[in-house]
Amino acid sequence: MNFEIDYFRALETPRLARLGPNIVAAAFPLMKLMPARFILDRAEKSGELKAGVHIVETTSGTFGMAVALLAAARGYRLTLVTAATLIDQAYQHRLERLGANVVPIEDERGDGNQSGRLAHLQAIMESEADTFWTRQYDSAGNWLSYARLAEQFVRSMGQVDWLVGCVGTGGSLCGTGTFLRQLYPHLKIAAVDTHRSVLFGQPVGKRMLRGLGNSVIPKNVQHHLVDEVHWVGAYAAYHSAHSLLRNHGIFMGPTSGAAALVGGWIARTNPGAVVAVIMPDEGFRHANTVYNDQWLSSLPGWPCEATSEPEALSVIEPGAEWEWTRFDWRRRSLDEVQRSQNRRAE
Amino acid sequence: MTCIAESPRSQCAALGKPAKGQAHAHHGELLQGAFEDDQGRLHRGLVTLPLDSLRSTAIIKLKKDNLLSVKPRTRMKALRAAQLALEHFGHPTFGGRLSIESDIPVGHGYGSSTADVVASIRAVAAALGTKLLPSTISRLAVAAETASDAIAFEAEALLFAQREGVVLEHFGGALPPFVLVGFKANDTSGINTIELAPARYSGQEIQLFRVLRGMIARAVQYQDPRLLGRAATLSAHISQRHLPKPFFDFVIGLAHHHQAFGIQVAHSGSLFGLMLDPRSVSLRADIHAIVAALKSAGFQDIDVFSVNGAGGTHEL
Repeated sequence: MNFEIDYFRALETPRLARLGPNIVAAAFPLMKLMPARFILDRAEKSGELKAGVHIVETTSGTFGMAVALLAAARGYRLTLVTAATLIDQAYQHRLERLGANVVPIEDERGDGNQSGRLAHLQAIMESEADTFWTRQYDSAGNWLSYARLAEQFVRSMGQVDWLVGCVGTGGSLCGTGTFLRQLYPHLKIAAVDTHRSVLFGQPVGKRMLRGLGNSVIPKNVQHHLVDEVHWVGAYAAYHSAHSLLRNHGIFMGPTSGAAALVGGWIARTNPGAVVAVIMPDEGFRHANTVYNDQWLSSLPGWPCEATSEPEALSVIEPGAEWEWTRFDWRRRSLDEVQRSQNRRAE
Repeated sequence: MTCIAESPRSQCAALGKPAKGQAHAHHGELLQGAFEDDQGRLHRGLVTLPLDSLRSTAIIKLKKDNLLSVKPRTRMKALRAAQLALEHFGHPTFGGRLSIESDIPVGHGYGSSTADVVASIRAVAAALGTKLLPSTISRLAVAAETASDAIAFEAEALLFAQREGVVLEHFGGALPPFVLVGFKANDTSGINTIELAPARYSGQEIQLFRVLRGMIARAVQYQDPRLLGRAATLSAHISQRHLPKPFFDFVIGLAHHHQAFGIQVAHSGSLFGLMLDPRSVSLRADIHAIVAALKSAGFQDIDVFSVNGAGGTHEL
């Protein structure tokens, strides 16, 4: 029998949606399958990942779900180390039902306790012989895997002038951007982050919008690729997610809402340019929160007006959850930008 | 009537009469690298740039129970291909005289040996009163010479696994028309394709090939020569890392200076090609300037081709 069927390759492939005359969004059911499958495939080919190996990763997000699906289908043991403050019961149960061992680490400071999680992960790897760490923060496999997305954009759009996407590990935006910019050197890249994420120079703090931003800076974030940075607050992202559903019939998570918000503004202000937006996950996980009026009405400051354009920043600083800010990054390193910010402060 | 060995009515009426097969040259590749098939396995593959102005012609006269000979006697791959074609049709004991006449220069990346091979297979089929599918010709060609290219498919653009003789992707049409200025550096001698060590591509290059493949699919679908040129240029840059060609930077500079929208190379030969827009108002002046610059820099075998009927070269 000759079946050319690969369920996970199909599931990792986004559907493309036209959000306006010059803007196309890649709507992923579960974007992190793309790097997860690529990293596991590569490790299997190189012999690093053999039958019976124990896969480990520190994550509270969708990368954990992607690895858990693949580990279940391929018969690997999996341990996901997370922070007690970052994982909700329902998500933990879904992961456990997939056979994953979920270890929530205490998080008294409320910043995700990444160092505590890494220490636990190291302890597992030292105590066991056959372990494999997927390393989504610094594995080249993460960003390399997004050549598939770049290919999809090229096949369906031909030329892309702007790429817009969220940054968490940096894999999707910097990977897709690296490939697309080799094809189209004029390509502009807009990074979507959220207030109190350290990725583009904001001071660390509690982030209400989960699934993008970070409290540490992964190696896969390539600052010099980025032309401009947008910090979208949780409420602005929720409004945009609601609008995606109401106006386009597309049910996505709030980070996708943040990306669509920024992409829509760039498309409107650059009517001659073709804009591609990356939308990383669906709305189902958020049905009881972002799409639930009762939950929304319990939030301080909600309801609020939806914002339709960003406020330009000259000094990088956090905003409120209904705010959306923008900074001209101009393909600089984080260090360069911080030095120029310090000079401004003096 | 097809002459099939097992057929009781097999008359092979055409035996003894000369039968002809032809195949055209190519101008190297637009893309060469490693590509995934539908099952996710990697294959070496290429997108050939067909050149129908240069041809190889094979003429064969078949006889039963005879030895097969070839003229010129150096064309052993053509002889082997004709034998394989006879075996394919169930006539391994047939023989006769195969002669090859070709205006394709040998050893410079024009695909002269594949053209001889394909022409010979077509001649055998014609002598037996039949035709072969391009996919069958490609399989026989790979069996005859280890690696082949996609010229059996004529103008149909495709991604072809040259060492297996299988199509990885049909792009669903012909390449968009463009004008090609072909040339080669003067200190390069002929290259035997099979003796070259295959390039070991990095993971990043293999992922970039995926995107370039998508670019060519788009270029064919929307008949966009500029997108094709961009993909070819990036492929040439990757090739340069693995099998460096002398004067590459000079050619890049020349292309940039004269508004060529792409650079194309024979990945395992010495050919360069500059791709030009046939609709450009300055086409004629650009071609003259490029040819003059190439001549004064000592490049050889400078020729202007109209690819897929691009036109624009008739006034030269």
